[in-house]
Parts: sequence; structure tokens; C-alpha cells
Amino acid sequence: MLIECHDLNYQYPSSSTQVFQGLSCRISGPGFHALFGPSGVGKTTLAKMIAGLVKGFSGEINVKTKAGILYTYNLERLPGWSVVGEHLKEISPPDKTKYLQNLTESFGIEECLKTRFSRLSLGQQNRTNLTRYLLQDFDLLIMDESLANVDETTRETIILKIKSMFSQKAFLYISHNVVEVAKFCKEILVLRDVRKSPQITAIKGQDHTGEQPPDRRALEQTMLEIVHAS
Amino acid sequence: MLHRRIYQFLIVYATGICILFLIKFALNLSDYVIPSPKEVWITAGQVFIRYLVNVMDTLAVAVIGHILSIFMATLVGIIGRLTSGVGSLIKIAAFNIQAYPIVAVAPIIFILLGDGLASRLLIASMICYFPLLLSVLGVLTEPVSDIEHFYRMTGRLTWQLEVKIRVFENITKLTTVVSGSATLAMVGTIVAEFIAADAGIGYTIRIALYQSDLAKILVALFLIGIWTSLYLVCLEWIGHLIQKKWQR
Repeated sequence: MLIECHDLNYQYPSSSTQVFQGLSCRISGPGFHALFGPSGVGKTTLAKMIAGLVKGFSGEINVKTKAGILYTYNLERLPGWSVVGEHLKEISPPDKTKYLQNLTESFGIEECLKTRFSRLSLGQQNRTNLTRYLLQDFDLLIMDESLANVDETTRETIILKIKSMFSQKAFLYISHNVVEVAKFCKEILVLRDVRKSPQITAIKGQDHTGEQPPDRRALEQTMLEIVHAS
Repeated sequence: MLHRRIYQFLIVYATGICILFLIKFALNLSDYVIPSPKEVWITAGQVFIRYLVNVMDTLAVAVIGHILSIFMATLVGIIGRLTSGVGSLIKIAAFNIQAYPIVAVAPIIFILLGDGLASRLLIASMICYFPLLLSVLGVLTEPVSDIEHFYRMTGRLTWQLEVKIRVFENITKLTTVVSGSATLAMVGTIVAEFIAADAGIGYTIRIALYQSDLAKILVALFLIGIWTSLYLVCLEWIGHLIQKKWQR
């Protein structure tokens, strides 16, 4: 899996505000990648451009994937005409149903399966939504604040589970949590305001897998690099 | 126990009748202008069954016209939700035609189709069709992005699923619009009967009007109100059942 963005320029339709000016970046190989930056710098816009949901920009985005890119965000809803369990079964490809039980157990949403989506808490809703995306075919899954409203411990469990279960897949994790991205991601793309140059910087993360405790000093160093870059 | 709709109608009707009699007694108007309560009561006894049959006739035409317009609005709404040229054309046409008072076209329909059932049905359908179409178009062309996104991303979003999502998300709005347009269907039928029909309660009122018989008109209005309210109650009940079944 390889994504190369070259010299991207973009401004929102019916707005004179420039979002990206000559932005270039690269995401390659499986694993957890992060897109980090303050609110309003264009993280979601860049993610949507990579997913092919935003057009009308200049520059090039070269995508080399087999199964494609999926983009999910934290405000998505499941249809209300069936309970969560029915919906998940319905949208699971036959070869992925074996993952369903494993994911629902690990993500702590077993008790939600007989409930309608609208009755779940925000955290449960986000976990359920992420589960259905993980059951699809993809090379890169862009997770735009997909674990918002989920407590820290559960978030850590989920990220580690995804990393172990889908080690051959790539993830682009959009988050505002500096500790999380520094700890779990192998590369962090720090996006900055359009007036700053370079607009995007790549920082190597700790890529923690849960097998050994993370190196505190290295983690602090990565966090400092991220903060300095942003 | 009476339904809220029936209560509301009875209150409005009783208030109207009281005001009418107050005017009669305050201005000392003759029974020829405004009949006495006793005369209205006697007239009701004489014409009730015949008028009831006429109201049922009108209601039947209104219900069929209403169903036709719901069917047509859904069909055109589904086509109109397309972003293609056809969809845009339907939307623009619906908005413009809706702005025109359709009832003004009624004489042309009577000239072309005569004063039979077809004309009444067509006018009833046309009067409630355009407001219905605009609402259906509004619902079906408005994406429910937070639900549709997943299906769009995974290539599962068929037009049937898109329509299902949008209808489900707006079911309360749609059932309200359908109930609201039922009154329009009834109005359309009665207006058609006023103009040139040979049956129905509108036609009966027209004859009573020629005779300047306000007592008969008051009885007819009572029956129209009661049966329209009952039709609305039925529609609301069906809407409630659909919502309950889908959202249980």
C-alpha cells in the first residue's frame, strides 16, 4: 500500500481561504499511521482527498492499493430499522464473519448487539461503527476520530487489537491525543497551518504493540517532537 | 372516547354555529337568511341519510385521488432525486407548477373530460399532488450523509437502499405531510363538485346554494367535517402503525 501526495493545493469551494499550499506527503506500508494537528488545519480534508471524497484540488495523489481505501468518522450512524447485531451480520462479507465475534468481544459491544444504534452511548456507537468498517475489505482505513468518546483504557485495548488482528492492513488514525499517536503509531504526519512551511512533517512514532512496556524516555521524546512540529 | 381530531372539529363547528345564531338573534334576521336551530334540526332529520351517502361518494373520490397522488408523488420523487438532467427538470417543474393555483385549471378539465368521475378524481389528485411532490422531493433529495456514507464507501448504496434510508429517517415528516394532504384531496373533490360535477356533497351544496337553504348547507358541512376528520384519524393511525413497526 502506497499513497503519495504531491504538491497539493486546495481551497474550500466558495471560500478564499487556502487550506493546502504545495503540500506533499507519503504513507506507505501496513501499520498505524497518524494524522495529527490542531483543529482547522485540514486533517479531515486531507483524509477525504486521499479517500477520493474531495475533488477540485490541484496536485497529485497517487494511490497504489489492491482492496482500496475506506474513510470512517465518528459521527456516523447505523440505520435504525434493525438492531446492531442484525446490521453487522448483514454487512459482513462471508469470509469476514469469523472476525465478527472476536471484534465485538474485544471492543466490548457484545451487549449492544440486540439494541438499536440510537439507544447506545456515544462510545458504544463509535465502537460499533468502527467494527463494521473492520469487517470490510480495505488496504487503508482512515479513522477520523473514530474512537472519540471511548475511555482511554478501552481505546488502548481496541488499538492493540486492531494492530494484532490486521497487521497486514494500513490505518491512518486522526486524533488530537498526542500521547496516543506517539505511543501506538509508527509514523505521525503533523499537519500545520497553511502559513507555516513545511505544512506537513513526518515523525517516527513508537509503534507500541503491547508485547513489552513502552520505553518512557523514547515516548516522551516523540511527544516533544510532535509538539514542536505542530 | 372521541379522537382529538373529532373533538377539535366539533368545537370549531359548534363555535361557528353559535356565532351564526348569535348574529341571527342580535340582528333579528329572518329564518330565510339564517334558519332557526329548530329548522336546522328538522332539515338534518330529513336530509341526513341522503347527504351521508353524498359525503361517502365525495370521500371515496378524495381517497382514491389521494392514493393516486401519493403513488405519483413517490414515483416522481424517486426519479426526481436523481442528480441528472431529468431530476433537475422535475424539481424545477414541480416548484413552478406548485406556485400556480391548480384549481383554476379545473374548468379546462371539465371541458375535456366532462362532469363525471374522471374529472373529480383528476382535480382531487392534482390539488394534493404538488404539495405532496414537493415534500417527497425534499425528503428524497436530501442525503442522510451520516448513514449513507458507509454504504457509499463500501459500494453498497443502491437506489432502493438510498430511498429506504431517507424515507425511514423522515417517516414522521412524511406521515404528517400525507395526513395534511388528505384535507387537500377532500377540498379538491368538493371544489370539482362545486364547479361542474353531477354527484357528491359539493354538488348537493351547490343545489342548496341555488335554493338559498343554509340549513342544508350547515348539515352538509357537519358531515364533511366529521368524515374528513375520521379519514385523518385513519391516516394518522396508519402512520403511527408504520412508525411503530419500523422503530420498535
